[in-house]
Amino acid sequence: MLETSVETYWEAYSFLMHEAELLDEHHEREWLDLFTDDAQYLMPVRVNREKAEGDGFSDESFYFQETRGSLELRVRRLETEYAWAEDPPSRTRHFVSNIRVAEGEEEDELAVKSNLLLYRSRGSDPHYDILSAERRDILRKEDGRWKLRRREILLDHSVLTTHNLSVFL
Amino acid sequence: MIGQPTGEKQILEVLQEAQRSLNEDGKLLAKVYNEPSIFDLEVKKIFSKTWVFLAHESEIPWSGDYVLRRIVDDSFIVTRDEDGEIHALFNMCRHRGMQLCRSDAGNSSHFRCPYHGYTYQNTGKLNGVPFQKEAYGPEGLDKDEWAMTTAPRMEIYEGMIFASLNPEVQPLEEYIGDMGWYLDFYLKKSPAGMEVIGPPQRWVMPADWKLAAENFIGDGYHTQSTHMSTIKAGIMRVKSPAYLKEGVQILAGMHGCLFMGFKPGSYLNYPQSIVDSMLENLDSDQVELLKEESIMPLNATVFPNTSFLHSSMSIEEGGKSVPYVTLRVWQPMGPGKIEIWSWCLVEKDASDEFKKASNRSYLSTFGASGTLEQDDAENWSGQTRVAGGEMSGQHYLNYSAGATHVEPIPDGEWAGPGTAYPKNYVDFAQRHFWQTYFDHLLAGEENGHAGS
Repeated sequence: MLETSVETYWEAYSFLMHEAELLDEHHEREWLDLFTDDAQYLMPVRVNREKAEGDGFSDESFYFQETRGSLELRVRRLETEYAWAEDPPSRTRHFVSNIRVAEGEEEDELAVKSNLLLYRSRGSDPHYDILSAERRDILRKEDGRWKLRRREILLDHSVLTTHNLSVFL
Repeated sequence: MIGQPTGEKQILEVLQEAQRSLNEDGKLLAKVYNEPSIFDLEVKKIFSKTWVFLAHESEIPWSGDYVLRRIVDDSFIVTRDEDGEIHALFNMCRHRGMQLCRSDAGNSSHFRCPYHGYTYQNTGKLNGVPFQKEAYGPEGLDKDEWAMTTAPRMEIYEGMIFASLNPEVQPLEEYIGDMGWYLDFYLKKSPAGMEVIGPPQRWVMPADWKLAAENFIGDGYHTQSTHMSTIKAGIMRVKSPAYLKEGVQILAGMHGCLFMGFKPGSYLNYPQSIVDSMLENLDSDQVELLKEESIMPLNATVFPNTSFLHSSMSIEEGGKSVPYVTLRVWQPMGPGKIEIWSWCLVEKDASDEFKKASNRSYLSTFGASGTLEQDDAENWSGQTRVAGGEMSGQHYLNYSAGATHVEPIPDGEWAGPGTAYPKNYVDFAQRHFWQTYFDHLLAGEENGHAGS
């Protein structure tokens, strides 16, 4: 049962598919344009805790705790010719599935949940990295275009299984 | 196998030759970067002998708090008991050896083994054994005898909890020794002390622990190449890529660090309250370095695998630099593989606003996603990869920077302890790390150069 109209669901779906394509094709500058000026981009540290203690996500420690301004610096770094961690670049594939779309708290906003499986391969190493997470996004319509106002990346890892996060989730 | 590229030589002979080559010629055999048979020796002769950092006191502020930590493959529950005392308990039931605690952090007065139900207090004392009389007779078990095993030694330095598998290890204070004077810049800028911000970032890297440790002990030279992207992008707000050329490299006991300059009077942009407390709380010689020389330790390694970094970076586009301290452990998971544990440390009495900003500055630039550390990861894993082959057994690396033209600062002209070199593009601290390393691996070996 859809919580929104089919058209709205389709718009959110298309947004996420387009976004994944931009990331996998290394169009980070265009990806950045998908964010609102007041965007938040968060990936909290997750701790392995007992069931009764909840899901273990920290509200103090993060792998990413970004604004549009700090994402701008990260993208600008990738645009230099000295970003060794991504040159030669990682080959990534963002598999985005289980998309759930609901009305947001504000008018012109949608609350979109999706699952992410990120495949990452570097160099000619036969070994590859997989990161798994749920993404909780808030999309806001600005000038007739959907934009990302908030993304929270909820990892399925208590220890990251990749040597660095020079790619975005 | 290490024997092959060098004929019939055994591992110790290879290490002795590597030690000689480093000491006499300033060349390091690349093989020591990544070699399984050397790793086994490292576990026995370094990680089972020295002090190893486990946790910060502020991670377990309340009675009952605990965190799970490791020394290589040995798991310890670091607890704070009902009286506030801290314990490092070996995480293995005394009955059938099941891992007692399987959560990485929490609060509990007891740990109950899932296997047969032995229950221990967070002091390690055995508290309960199910069906005790049926299993062990009317007298039951001697609960003192069957308490949890503790780490052979556990001591605390400025809020930092260390343990050692070696009951004979020297006291921690003595082990840190002269390095303490330099650690003060990280840990004693306020009388309130430091606290961690949340749980550590943890990630796995196909890199050898020694490469991260030697980088952090004093590699100022790499910054102009490795971290160029962050200078170009306006993250590291410096005038020239060679900003770290001038400074001071320190050898202190088994440890070392590197000083960087800052704009006079800026104190890395610390808020005024922390500037006031650092000038008040540090000793007069330390304050003189801050006030007159405008230098402060940037990165440091406490042998073997604990490192510190003090820096100040821009978080937002065009934004002012915000200072931070990060503490990390390069935890070996095997030859050429580490789990990195990374914390942000901040003065307990700093404002919440500064704590948040400092943490953001840290995680933007260091840690798994850090714009500087991303490229360090590329280097350390690349070094490890190529050292894993056979050619590294006959490939020697240049550790001679500074050897021909840089002399230590004469006694009396440098206020701190240890040996100070007045430049940063030098290899003295890195060589010192490897000499300390060889001294440990070859200690007690016949024909070894231990202690030389």
